Amino acid sequence: MEYFYTVIILIGLYVVLASSFNLIIGYGGLISIAHPVFYAIGAYTSALLSRDFGVPIVASMFIGAAVAVIASIALALPSLRVSGDYLLIASIGFQLGLLELIKNVSWTGGAGGLTNIPSFLVQSVGRETYVALVVVVAVLSVWLVRSIAHGPYGRALSAMRDDELAYSALGRNAIATKVSVFALGSGLAGFAGALYAHYFRYIAPEQFEILQSAAILTMVVVGGMRSTWGPVVGAVMLEALPQAITFLNLPPSVLGPLQGLLFTGLVLIFMFLRPQGLVPAGDLWRATGDKDAR
Amino acid sequence: MLSFGVIAQILWTSLATSSYFVLSAMAFAVVLKVNRLFNFAQAAVMTVAFYAAYTLVGLLGLPGRAGFVGALVASLVLSAAIEILGLRVLRRRGASTMFVFIFTLMISELVAYLAMLIYGTWPATVFPSLFWPATLVGPVAVSGWDVPAVATMLAVCAALYAFLRLMRPGQFMLAVADNPDLAELYGIAKDRVYLITMLIAGALGAVAMFLYGTRAQVQPTTSIDLLLFAIAASVIGGIGNIWGAALTAFVLALLQNASVLFIPSEWQGFLLYIVLFLAIVLFPQGVHFRKISQLFHRLFPRRLDNTHPKDA
Repeated sequence: MEYFYTVIILIGLYVVLASSFNLIIGYGGLISIAHPVFYAIGAYTSALLSRDFGVPIVASMFIGAAVAVIASIALALPSLRVSGDYLLIASIGFQLGLLELIKNVSWTGGAGGLTNIPSFLVQSVGRETYVALVVVVAVLSVWLVRSIAHGPYGRALSAMRDDELAYSALGRNAIATKVSVFALGSGLAGFAGALYAHYFRYIAPEQFEILQSAAILTMVVVGGMRSTWGPVVGAVMLEALPQAITFLNLPPSVLGPLQGLLFTGLVLIFMFLRPQGLVPAGDLWRATGDKDAR
Repeated sequence: MLSFGVIAQILWTSLATSSYFVLSAMAFAVVLKVNRLFNFAQAAVMTVAFYAAYTLVGLLGLPGRAGFVGALVASLVLSAAIEILGLRVLRRRGASTMFVFIFTLMISELVAYLAMLIYGTWPATVFPSLFWPATLVGPVAVSGWDVPAVATMLAVCAALYAFLRLMRPGQFMLAVADNPDLAELYGIAKDRVYLITMLIAGALGAVAMFLYGTRAQVQPTTSIDLLLFAIAASVIGGIGNIWGAALTAFVLALLQNASVLFIPSEWQGFLLYIVLFLAIVLFPQGVHFRKISQLFHRLFPRRLDNTHPKDA
């Protein structure tokens, strides 16, 4: 039963990550692959604050998300002032650089990882309560992303993505819109990271590397970019699929690359055969005039 | 601590180690200039080049030359496949920049995972030993790897320059880089030019990776680190400026080698990310060497004109 709960928690966290990444890359049209690093920032901040400074866990979780928001603004602001392409380059550098920093600093546990992270709810109330908490957070995240995408802010995002020049000519600040959507998505990822840290009680830099970027990107592309349910379907499918491979009892040296091959291979297949993903975005997608869906 | 000997050694080692950085930066920059593409698939091409050489030399025991040819052939085949089966199809579909970027990134990761599955994550080298005999030239130790590496880099740079300036396909590349639609109106086949550019980048990447693999240990993700170096050099050198990227790659190699004097060696890798981030914040359009020169002239006009204030 414990294994079943763990799988549900992982699926819930990936739903948050995929939905928030969809907000950035799909609705915002911002090219970044550093989503796992904000997940890591939330996890490390919350874990360190609660473990080493005695900050209450709930407060540490929210501070973790806030630090992820601040870090994302610090990354996006200088990059987006120049061009969208720079966000991509800066995000890769930021992700690899921060993980390199975490590996070389002793107070983060270094490459070996951070252990003895305080548990939340599991020991006091029960594992089921934590599962319920993660599911509620996942549902709220999907609802939030959907509300944003279909509300006035979503229309502004869509306009900016389709024609940034026209958007700016109407007196709108494109950079502020981009930075805010990036920060919002990253904040959600940071909160998911905090939830991860206090359940598994162990975090290491290798859990937030490029494989995670590929996994989250796969969930969004395979599920369907710019659709509410696409990333949810992608997250459920692609989190359940590696669990099936786990039952093959392969050694870790084979299992990791095999999962990576599965993720990257699926993205490439979907890109050419079904670019709209499993759950097409409908009118919201087509309104952009994007030719990718052909 | 900073004696002439130390400085000379750092300069020489930087020049030697910059050989693969310069070549990989040029490979990235030439595709960025002509195909207008952030080609992350270059990491895949370099990984394939290395493992082809490693299979032939390290595992099958063939001579180094066979490994070099194998690396070159493997990288050219993969580059052609990426262009013809992937990028050309996406171009015809009118795919967005984001879509093309995801494609190149996924290719580089797919190849890295494939290499992990086949060869494992243990570091490997082209030759069984990384030991190269060294000779003392004055205060500078010159290893048996240094001179061929520097000579190869210079020869490849000269060949690329001559190709771009003197040969028809090279001139077509520059024309397409300048204005692809106008070049097409003049009868230049854009698709062929894009393919040639990818092949040139593949060859440059193969040479870079062969040099790297004969001097240092390689893992399936090593080429991604090298690619980041190439990206940093291309951004600082000015996007679309191949020679600016090459020069910046040398300066970055110098900075990385000189950093051992000031910071612990485990932080050497971190330096690259700081440089990359600072480059984007401070020099988003690259370092304009001409503008710096103009600024310098404006600030110090008399000194540069060699005129004394009294004469003015």
